[in-house]
Amino acid sequence: MSNVSRHPDANFLLDFASGGLSAAQAIAVSAHLHFCSSCRSQAESLNDIGGRLLADVEPAVLSANCQAAVFAALDSPVPVKAEIERRPAEVVRGLTRSDQLPALVRQITPVDGLRWRRLSSSLQVARLPVGEQRYELALHHIEAGGKAPAHDHRGTEITVVLQGSFSDEAGVYHQGDFMVCEPGYTHTPVATANAECVCLSVLEAPIRLVGGFKRLLNPFLSFRPA
Amino acid sequence: MITASKNTSDVHKVVMLAEARSDIWSELLVKVGAGRDREAFGELFAHFAPLLKGFLMKGSSLGPERAEELVQETMIKVWRKADSFNATKSSASTWIYTVARNCRIDWLRREAKSSRDIEAEDIYESSEENTSYTSLVQIRNRDLIRENLALLPPEQLEVIAKIYFEGKSHSEVAAELTLPLGTVKSRIRLALNRLQLRMTAEENTPDV
Repeated sequence: MSNVSRHPDANFLLDFASGGLSAAQAIAVSAHLHFCSSCRSQAESLNDIGGRLLADVEPAVLSANCQAAVFAALDSPVPVKAEIERRPAEVVRGLTRSDQLPALVRQITPVDGLRWRRLSSSLQVARLPVGEQRYELALHHIEAGGKAPAHDHRGTEITVVLQGSFSDEAGVYHQGDFMVCEPGYTHTPVATANAECVCLSVLEAPIRLVGGFKRLLNPFLSFRPA
Repeated sequence: MITASKNTSDVHKVVMLAEARSDIWSELLVKVGAGRDREAFGELFAHFAPLLKGFLMKGSSLGPERAEELVQETMIKVWRKADSFNATKSSASTWIYTVARNCRIDWLRREAKSSRDIEAEDIYESSEENTSYTSLVQIRNRDLIRENLALLPPEQLEVIAKIYFEGKSHSEVAAELTLPLGTVKSRIRLALNRLQLRMTAEENTPDV
């Protein structure tokens, strides 16, 4: 068992089970579930609600050729799905233990590698494109013992710790922890002294845009419309 | 031994539940997965395809034709993926629900012309990669859901059902029902409490 102590609330898990989250948000929940068996079990129970609703719903009459069309397609060749590409460690550069990342994170890493942008002496950020306008998915990397600049949040931000741990004014966050920062929340994350910290973050498009210099300093305002 | 009776009743419960779980649809699904059994698939189709169409049409944005296209896509996926169905982990209706949900997510992403091709299946299956067994809690929950879902007060069931039928988030559903977000959240909480689904987040942070 891991010592995951911060979890998505019931509404997040419910939206995950119903398919109502954006891809970026769903990836963050999935990353948490990778580390948290109790939320995994709950997500499965919430899937059971979907299964129950399906079993109990009033059936609708199918059109005459529906079944024939499906049976005709059964023998057609299965489209080959691209194998999850195992990105070599050097591609997920800066991560000394990239082999421990959830496979999904490696899978969505761009083929030409992550492009890390340095935001301060100890903080780097790399975007993970998911093709959405409203949410930006990114990896944040804090050097061991490094301090991220103090910042606030213009939009809601989800953070999942993938490696190492960090602390801020409100507490310590370990591998697998899932937290939501509401707009207006200000904090100064500091990585634990003996290990680098890697987080996955989902940032909702901020409502207000902030001017050049501040934007450079503030990683959580890194949203740029595609 | 003080714990004996508890263990016995747990074992009894597991056996009982294991029986309930290996329902006829799960058996058919296993047959399809193991032997490409068309007859078994035909029975599954006859049962689930009309249910899927009914389910998808409850989502107000899908008319009958589009719902049926999604039914077809889902049932073809069911045929192709049936060998990954594990009857000890999941019931046939839950598994088929997740296949349909993922097909609908991908469909909506394609319609939105998303520039990045990430399949829902990859996102959801990645979350399950560490799961190798079904916990007792989960089996108990499944029974509670089966027995109690239909007994929820109508206003709670309405919110929960709309979220699933339409594949939306609780905040989208709040907006569509023109209900305050807090009201929807509290209905969800009451419904999950009534189903006795304990959420980890609430156990750890009682103040939230």
